[in-house]
Amino acid sequence: MIVCWQLSAGFRFNISVQSAHVPPPHWLRVVLIGRRPKATLMRIAVLVVTCFITFRFVLLPIRIEGISMLPTYQDHQINCLNRLAYLRHEPQRGDIVSVRLSDAHGLANPSVAYLKRIIGLPGETVSFHAGHAFINGQLLDEPYLKLPCDWETKPFPCSPKQYYVVGDNRSMPFSFHTKGRAERDHIIGKILL
Amino acid sequence: MKTAFRLVLLAAIAALGFWLWTVLFPGPEKIIRQKIARLAATTTVDAHDSNLTRAVKVGNLIGAFAVAAEISCDVPELGSRTLSGRDEIRDTARAVLAGLTTLKVEFLDVTIHLGADKSTAEVSCTVRVDTGDKRDYGVQEMRFQLKKMDGDWLITRAETVKTLS
Repeated sequence: MIVCWQLSAGFRFNISVQSAHVPPPHWLRVVLIGRRPKATLMRIAVLVVTCFITFRFVLLPIRIEGISMLPTYQDHQINCLNRLAYLRHEPQRGDIVSVRLSDAHGLANPSVAYLKRIIGLPGETVSFHAGHAFINGQLLDEPYLKLPCDWETKPFPCSPKQYYVVGDNRSMPFSFHTKGRAERDHIIGKILL
Repeated sequence: MKTAFRLVLLAAIAALGFWLWTVLFPGPEKIIRQKIARLAATTTVDAHDSNLTRAVKVGNLIGAFAVAAEISCDVPELGSRTLSGRDEIRDTARAVLAGLTTLKVEFLDVTIHLGADKSTAEVSCTVRVDTGDKRDYGVQEMRFQLKKMDGDWLITRAETVKTLS
């Protein structure tokens, strides 16, 4: 312990002696790589790894394409998808989720996915009358809908592993809008903002 | 130092050898992946493509399918349609490519499941079609069934899948 302390003291002494003679680094170098380049490099490495893990596996940057989520989300809007949102609990009604189209297995992120709002939970029956959504025959309050809708449909029962998802823009005819029952394992995350 | 250099050199040679092996003798998954990529390239036509180029593309497209292949498509706004056999596929492909100025087809997120006998495979992917006009065909889930026939992987069935039922 004493030896270590002495070594440390000597090291400090040497540094202070050296620094007395070495001119201070150029201000541009200090700005760009800091006073301790090794520490700066380490910080950059940690930052890169953290960003890679975060934006690859946790928060996926996405670009919304299309008008099916108007007016909540505009075409070409940038957002993030939280892939860990449903680790502790299951998707809730009103959540805006991403539904993958291809194989549901694996950690790989899909290139394209649907962005829809959950209105029907497993075991429930969803139907539309006069443009309003009904869950098990009860009118669903949807304050986020701003565009007119005139959908009239038959009831769609969801199985215990299915969620009914639909966009917020229901102004187009029912057949032109991509919506329906999504399997739980196809729901990959919840939109962040 | 010499030993370390030799070890690094050996590892580099081994890696190069492995890479060459995969290039010269690709596994079935890689072959199928290339096949699907070629299929997308074949079905993609540009406005500058001549009729001859389009005819060649139709020929190449047909070559990817088995004689008794079946295509089952449910296209938004156009409804569902089933094509059976190479002749029907050829006629439809000719008509579609002749009627469109541009057509861009992409197969994304391709996953391949090889059968236990290694002579059949199922491919799941997302297809994105852009015809250059204002029609929006969106994206759709798609599945292919392939079979190895005379050393070549041929599509026996292609179908669109409804992700949202």
